[in-house]
Amino acid sequence: MKASDLIAALPCISAWDGWNDREITGGYTSDLLSDVMAHADEGQVLITIQSHKNTVAVAVLKDLSAIILASDRPVPPDMAEAARDEDLPIFVASDDQYTCSWKLQKLLSS
Amino acid sequence: MPVIRADLHTHSCLSPCGDLSASPRALAAAARKAGLDMLAITDHNTALNAPAFEIACRGEGIVPLFGLELTTMEEVHALALFPTALEAVRAGEEAYERLESETLDPEAFGDQIWVNEDEEIEGSLEKLLIIGTTDLTLDDAGTWTRELGGLFIPAHIDRSVFGVLGVLGFLPEGPFEAVECTRPIDEVLTGGWPVTASSDAHYPGDVGSRYTEWTSEKPDFDSLAAALASRTVTAHFGGR
Repeated sequence: MKASDLIAALPCISAWDGWNDREITGGYTSDLLSDVMAHADEGQVLITIQSHKNTVAVAVLKDLSAIILASDRPVPPDMAEAARDEDLPIFVASDDQYTCSWKLQKLLSS
Repeated sequence: MPVIRADLHTHSCLSPCGDLSASPRALAAAARKAGLDMLAITDHNTALNAPAFEIACRGEGIVPLFGLELTTMEEVHALALFPTALEAVRAGEEAYERLESETLDPEAFGDQIWVNEDEEIEGSLEKLLIIGTTDLTLDDAGTWTRELGGLFIPAHIDRSVFGVLGVLGFLPEGPFEAVECTRPIDEVLTGGWPVTASSDAHYPGDVGSRYTEWTSEKPDFDSLAAALASRTVTAHFGGR
């Protein structure tokens, strides 16, 4: 599935438009970015409530396909700007991290 | 020029994780025993023990610093240090107001009491100080602290939980007056900011187990600020 498929399927809202629509290979759920740096894999979607500019940097470093900010976390302007610079999609979902995670797992295995 | 030794991060009985024996008076006495010149009290998101701490430190010949350990929205801990008890108390009142947390269950988490100079209990805080966050981001917290006349130092940045490197992966741009580490770490990780070391004591016996040193004619807030600005502080991780 593509990153854009998440919008209707989760559902979630895209924080900005014009990003690189990549294939999603899996997911990683964590709010500690040191843990994401250590364990997330290329192509995964990061599910987190850590709405910070550094989240984008870590996602780019690990070549992740998208960030889902759970629980309607606000997107700080500098975070959105960093994501734009990197063509990385940020989605905001109302569900919490657990619910986003099992929904994504269901979508990926269907 | 005299060498100043300071422990810039300690908790009193007002922090739920701080031992009840950690009264301001006990902390001040421990600082004298440890051979420190200056000691800061930095409870979580409050500074209500600062006035009693000031009197206790003066009695022991220790120069007091007053602050709080803020919990930012990202769940990063950061020290805000002030020159006077009044400034710290005011900052602490605002931080407590901005803290979104649960009601304290003393059985589970311990007490949160503040005392007077005679160690009589003045009151206790209802909101649990170590769970939840303020609505200040790390960036906002730095600006907020500086506008109130304080020094802003992300705490134990090398800790996996509540330390900025653990939570945010690497150090954001800042600015910071310094970064506090619990051990010597690579300059790449500290971003070239001055590094401080402090005990983060929760028991009086731990005061001074890590400390920060600089040279100055006078041990006071301004000399610390100047030493940080000129990057002439030395962090001691082994203690005295």
